[in-house]
Amino acid sequence: MTKLCGADVPFDCAQGRPLCPHPTGKVQQAGRNARPTRTLLILAILFLPCLAHAYAGPGAGFAVLSSFWAIFVAFLYSFYALMTWPIRQLFRFLRRRNAYGKAKFNRAVILGFDGMDPELSERFMNEGKLPNLAKLREKGTFTKLRTTFPAISPVAWSTFMTGVNPGKHNIYDFLARDTSNYLPFLSSAEIKGPKRHIKIGKYSIPFGKTEIKAMRKGTPFWHWLGKAGIFSSVIRVPVTFPPEKFSGVLLSGMCVPDLKGSQGTFCLCTTRGSSDKFREGGVRVPIERRNGTCYSYIPGPDSPLAGTAGNEMRVAFEVKPDPTAKQVRIVVASEKLTLKVGEYSEWISVEFKAGLGFTAHGICRFYLKEVSPEVEVYVSPVNIDPGHPDLPISHPVTYSIYLAKLYGPFATLGLAEDTWALNEHVLDDEAFLAQCYSNHEDRERMLFDALEKTKQGLCTCVFDTTDRVQHMFWRYLDEDHPAAREVPRDQRPNVIPELYQKMDRLIGRVMEQIDDDTLLLVISDHGFKSFARCVNLNAWLHQNGYLALKDGKTESGDWFDDVDWSRTRAYTMGLNGLYLNVKGREMQGIVDPAEAEALKIELQQKLNGLKDPASGEAGITGVFITGNVYRGPYTENAPDLIVGYGAGYRASWDSVLGKVTGQVFEDNLKAWSGDHCIDPRLVPGILFSSHKFATEKPHIADVAPTILTLFGLAPPSHFDGKAWNLTG
Amino acid sequence: MALSVLLFRNPLAIVVVLSIVIGLLMVVLFGYTSNQKAIKIAKDQLKAHLLAVRLFQEQLHVVVGSYGRILRGTGRYLRLAFMPLLYVIIPITLLIVQLDRYLGVAPVQPNAPFLLTVQASSADALSGASLDLPTGILTTAPAVHVPADHEVVWRLAASREGTYDIGVATGGDRVTKRVKVSSELSRLSPVRFRGRFWERMFRSSESAIPDNSPIESIAINYPERTIRLAGYELNWIWLFFIFSMIAGFIFKELLGIQV
Repeated sequence: MTKLCGADVPFDCAQGRPLCPHPTGKVQQAGRNARPTRTLLILAILFLPCLAHAYAGPGAGFAVLSSFWAIFVAFLYSFYALMTWPIRQLFRFLRRRNAYGKAKFNRAVILGFDGMDPELSERFMNEGKLPNLAKLREKGTFTKLRTTFPAISPVAWSTFMTGVNPGKHNIYDFLARDTSNYLPFLSSAEIKGPKRHIKIGKYSIPFGKTEIKAMRKGTPFWHWLGKAGIFSSVIRVPVTFPPEKFSGVLLSGMCVPDLKGSQGTFCLCTTRGSSDKFREGGVRVPIERRNGTCYSYIPGPDSPLAGTAGNEMRVAFEVKPDPTAKQVRIVVASEKLTLKVGEYSEWISVEFKAGLGFTAHGICRFYLKEVSPEVEVYVSPVNIDPGHPDLPISHPVTYSIYLAKLYGPFATLGLAEDTWALNEHVLDDEAFLAQCYSNHEDRERMLFDALEKTKQGLCTCVFDTTDRVQHMFWRYLDEDHPAAREVPRDQRPNVIPELYQKMDRLIGRVMEQIDDDTLLLVISDHGFKSFARCVNLNAWLHQNGYLALKDGKTESGDWFDDVDWSRTRAYTMGLNGLYLNVKGREMQGIVDPAEAEALKIELQQKLNGLKDPASGEAGITGVFITGNVYRGPYTENAPDLIVGYGAGYRASWDSVLGKVTGQVFEDNLKAWSGDHCIDPRLVPGILFSSHKFATEKPHIADVAPTILTLFGLAPPSHFDGKAWNLTG
Repeated sequence: MALSVLLFRNPLAIVVVLSIVIGLLMVVLFGYTSNQKAIKIAKDQLKAHLLAVRLFQEQLHVVVGSYGRILRGTGRYLRLAFMPLLYVIIPITLLIVQLDRYLGVAPVQPNAPFLLTVQASSADALSGASLDLPTGILTTAPAVHVPADHEVVWRLAASREGTYDIGVATGGDRVTKRVKVSSELSRLSPVRFRGRFWERMFRSSESAIPDNSPIESIAINYPERTIRLAGYELNWIWLFFIFSMIAGFIFKELLGIQV
């Protein structure tokens, strides 16, 4: 049984704050039994004479000082805000008169449902399951929204915000390849520690700031709005890390790292001995039993004072198992919590201390998997603490602090839903869903706060739950998915229909908050299809003589270990990119640039329509030469070809990691059973609108120019998208 | 030994040490008797509304709304802080009362005049009132009758240090009042009452005057004691308030208690 601790009883929970403290929440104090004592005390105080009334102990001081301080600061802020308001309004008026003067709406609200599929939406609307989306369809617009090449979230959302094709924003996948060593790096941001260090004894003290460089180019459209004096609240739009300055508030989304700097590393603490390593995304940490108490630790980032990698900081914790009650008592730092089997803790603050005052602040959640005979505790990836961010995750920096203070800690990791843990069977379906929906509820609270705060301007929020849940639960929607063949059809949970209904209810609540002067857009960056069969393109390249292994090898390791580059003409890594090993570009390139175009065409012709021998279906339905689909200054960083897999197919898990295996096609047996990294023409996104637009084949790149136009601004000339015409 | 003597004789040192100890006790008591989670949430939300004023300063409705929430939040916070305050107010108040007997007033000095005021239930009861003075205490002026207030006041002086019981005789009744003449810290009782339980509890450390006596109270005007700090003469209670609060703020950080 999976449940969120204290979700319904805010202060009964063993740990921390409630999941959803009401913003104006009445705080439940001591129970009813305390009332007589309290009454007696109050009466006693009332009847005590003058000296008691003049009580001036420290408690009175705390109360008076703290509240006075709050009121004083508030008064100062308010006084400043009120006094300068007319002047600021004047400036705003001068700056924005053209924008709002010609604006067709007072406010635009964009809800991004990552991966919401138009075919499923239509099916569920027709079945009467999505009444609010159906209302939008009738009253406004519903159509498919063409997506980017490839149909991957960071690529598509970058196009959404910049209004340009990937050749102009430089994001082609989650990963890009380093031509000097054929290894991957994160495509969206580069984080470098301080360049200078001062060596004192065993310490290497960093001197200077951590550099975070945004790799995404192009300017998000809310920057143009801001320049015109239009305020924006932007929540969790992917590839907004590091956050950039503009007139508004922004909370970064997908691509924000965890405290270790990875895209999410969970930890399974266990007494069960195993030397197995997780394929990726997690580590196994032993739990040591001593005198009935278990001891383990949470692995953290490397110490900044060590000077070299591999000096991991840790936070120790104790687990006291109670097998009879099927629960444990966990003591971590100053927190003490009781967890039952199948229960998550609230977010727990953890501090990784390196010494000399260097501390990394994180938050994580515990989940008790098993208490007897073995003890197993899942610890979520350690997220950057939004209330004490060691890296900037919002603009201004205080915005994440504001949200953390208002609603309590929340997931900040870009890919906050731990899909790897479900893939690796560390979390089960219920535990994973509970995690997803807990994050989703946090996001909803942020959205409604932004709606309340942004009565004029732009309010946009992206929800990832739709993407993660479809990735992990498509197997139950498919007739015959290899990953769910053992689950009888009548026992399959209705996760995806329920997900769509949940999103529909959210839209309903948003619709209650907006008026006719607000434009509501509901969009997704791509749709979804089954991922039942894996295609190892590196295997195909090997079998067809484009990729060579070192003598005697029949398979490679990850990241092209044992690949003979001196005889390799093409290779693939990541989800859709195929690269030529070009002389002068790649470190050990052999393909003459003059012959590259011919090789691309050759590969395109051979791969297009590649049949799966098991079913006879096309595993690849389109191969696109990037020079033909991208335009812009960063096209040279793109893969040479984009491979569009057929419905039901995707790049294999090994192929993504640059591994050559013996088989080209194989079943996908993982929980990750739905995907969209296929032929982009097969997975368009959705576009719902509260108002009617006249547009044929709208594209995600059109959103930015449309919003600018509706606010009375001229879209910049470098935009690739075209504004839609409002007809009703 | 030298330290204890210094502490015992120096009111400032006493106040500082007591403030630190009581500051620590208060924080610990506050931690145990308060709803720490609720206080943390209330404080966090206050901070959030303060940040909202800054973050959304262009939006007047947010600024005004946040200001209202700050006021409401402050009220909520005070309510949460009030309960633990109630739990500690009684012991701390009683302690303050006891300390005030040592530190609030100073004993009479030898040869310095002081007033003894007797108040009766009627002016007639005091018409034949007289003093029964112990050896070492002298009157330095004739008694002054204030019939409107049913009072008679004597000016007295002590020739040497000591604890004296001064007798007041009226209409066959005799009541005593203790007076201390000293240059040391002493426990003093400025007034003796008939009845008046609460006032007696907070201002007197002597037994009650018998109910059948016409005398309502006998008071000595001990001089107020002040403590000199940074050029200011301050009542001990202010110093206690400041020092105990500083100590409390330090201990709350060290102990991780939400205040």
